[in-house]
Amino acid sequence: MKKIIETENLRTNFYTYEGVVKALNDVCITVNHGETFGLVGESGCGKSVTVRSMMRIIQSPGKVESGKVLLFLDENGEQEAVDLLQQSESYMQSCCGDQISMIFQEPNAALNPIMSIGEQVAESFLFHRKKSLSEASLERLNAQDCKVPFKGIFKNLYKKYHEDENAFVFKLLSHIPLLNRWDFLIRQEAFKRAVEIISKLGIPHAEDIAVQFPHNLSGGMKQRIVIAIALACSPMLLIADEATSNLDVTIQAQILELLKDLKKKHISSILLITHDLGVVAETCDRVGVMYAGSLCEVAESRELFGNPSHPYTKALLESVPKFHQEGALKTIEGNVPNLVTPPAGCRFHPRCKHRMDICDKEVPNLLEIGKNHSVACHLFGDK
Amino acid sequence: MLSTHKLVNILQAYIIRRLFFLFFVIFGVSLLVFTIQYSYGPDRRAMLYVDSPQQAKDIPELKKKYGLNDPYPVQYVRYLKEIAMGNFGYSIVAARPVWDAFLHYLPITIELNLFVVPLFIIIGIWLGKQAGIKRNTTYDHVTRILAIIGWSLPTFLFALILLMIFYGKFGLFEPAMLSANIEAFILDNPDKYIKYTGMYTIDGILNGEFGITWDAIKHLFLPVLTQVIVIVAILMRVMRSSMVEEISKDYVITAQAKGVDSKTIFNKHVKRNALIPVITIAGQLAALSMEGSIAVEMIFNRHGIGNWLAHAALKLDTSVIMFMCLFMAVIFVVTNLIIDLLYAYIDPRIRLT
Repeated sequence: MKKIIETENLRTNFYTYEGVVKALNDVCITVNHGETFGLVGESGCGKSVTVRSMMRIIQSPGKVESGKVLLFLDENGEQEAVDLLQQSESYMQSCCGDQISMIFQEPNAALNPIMSIGEQVAESFLFHRKKSLSEASLERLNAQDCKVPFKGIFKNLYKKYHEDENAFVFKLLSHIPLLNRWDFLIRQEAFKRAVEIISKLGIPHAEDIAVQFPHNLSGGMKQRIVIAIALACSPMLLIADEATSNLDVTIQAQILELLKDLKKKHISSILLITHDLGVVAETCDRVGVMYAGSLCEVAESRELFGNPSHPYTKALLESVPKFHQEGALKTIEGNVPNLVTPPAGCRFHPRCKHRMDICDKEVPNLLEIGKNHSVACHLFGDK
Repeated sequence: MLSTHKLVNILQAYIIRRLFFLFFVIFGVSLLVFTIQYSYGPDRRAMLYVDSPQQAKDIPELKKKYGLNDPYPVQYVRYLKEIAMGNFGYSIVAARPVWDAFLHYLPITIELNLFVVPLFIIIGIWLGKQAGIKRNTTYDHVTRILAIIGWSLPTFLFALILLMIFYGKFGLFEPAMLSANIEAFILDNPDKYIKYTGMYTIDGILNGEFGITWDAIKHLFLPVLTQVIVIVAILMRVMRSSMVEEISKDYVITAQAKGVDSKTIFNKHVKRNALIPVITIAGQLAALSMEGSIAVEMIFNRHGIGNWLAHAALKLDTSVIMFMCLFMAVIFVVTNLIIDLLYAYIDPRIRLT
């Protein structure tokens, strides 16, 4: 199996006034080519922080302390690993949105309220498809029936932009009012592509939608737009951060269908974050269960639901309401620990039914207990 | 999407409706101002027409002549009638009718604001944006301290300090509006220098006398600096907190995940959103600045509206004060209209209805 992205011992802290919140504790996740990986866990267990650390978009006061995020790029048939945490800002800018992109959980907040839908989608193209955009604009300028004033000047400008987009002229032009609109053809081209991608996602009247603003659309539509932004440049890895959590069930099903469909056609892997076990069972190939900032169990989804091994996973699956259930709902006793002072050893031990002496002393390592099935629990330690 | 033609129609209707609203505001303000000055009683008001103790015996006659003993509604309607005809009374301080004096003083205040308003908006927003981006760095702390100083020091003290440093120590930028020799030149050559607008900087250009413009700008430097620093201090802090709030919003992360560079994020995404609350404050500050900062005009010896108003208040020049209240009402209504139009331009969620 080819890997696409892998995190090694990822640690992220948040420096708040109450103290240092140790949000991630040595998280190791691997996503392979062509699979849908699900990341589940209750709220506040660090799912979002994990993927945001992977894309390096943690907002202050958060900071990725240590670890590696390896992105495997296909170079001439050979896989080359790039540690994203070591890369420069500009490398990340070219990588985010192009190779990896992300769908956010709150479509209402994830879109800029005062920018038109089309513009927001077009931005992905403007930053990652400069070459092909300037090519298309040049083609338009070279066409016979093109009516643009100062055609010659624009032709030269676009030709130069095609060759070297970082030339001094463009930096200068971008600072001068009015002249900074020299790239209007490129923008128009990007907008056209944005309309295309919006209509591809099954939104009718894409041209009309593209000139509207987020407040004109319904929640489901907005979520589709957020997906459109993420999909614009056909990324290798799509991270869906609770993409369906705030939608009603029908829309949720539609969006999941859409994601499945897109995975077949455009993207290679999906990293799906959710707290809905039903969604996981339905869509994911492999699942990782997180608790309080550390990974407890990774398995194929059939295996995980059939043979949950970590006490937390078991408890989690037991607390899902069943159709024929009678009496009170089963819950996991206790609360999620405060991550400023996390419990020593295994972070789950204060709530664990199978607690042993070692549990509050040593952090369990992720051990393989079966085919593609790893558990971080002392119950499966060397016995 | 609205067509341009339809948009213009909506705008027109909106502006006309809002300006219609102006009449009600003026009516309300006039009622209020009139009531306040009515509380003086007929004798006190008759006193305003009296210059010397000898004339005191004329008071009963004056009361009769101007109808000061009439019932309140009658007097108010008479006042409204005079306003409608453009008669705002006589200014004792300026020794001429209020309207004439106003037209004389207004250009001087406008000239000051022509420099102050654009400068404080550009500088305030730029500094606030930078401070918001570089939150909790040295830049932020330094601008914060400067803002507190600029804001909390009284304007007159600030003006005096600047005057002391620049004029007192270095002999630069003297007070008054023009140098003595230039003023003499204007008085001596009424054919070469024609008064078009009453603003020396603009009239200088229009007359082709660039020396006058340059001299006027030199004299404007300190008053403009004083005004700008005080207002920028407020505006900058508002812009900063607005920026800080917007930077933590989710759409910023979306843009980051899209691969947008931070310059574009700040200038295109965050700044525009952050401007929405700032526009209100900037508009109100600009309107207040139109009143003419009294301290600035007094200290730098500029005979604008603020100076006139200060003298009028000292001499109980009632008609001037009543007129200025009406003038400020108009200014505030118009500024609010402009603010609302700008709002609608920046924020598509706001509709002009």
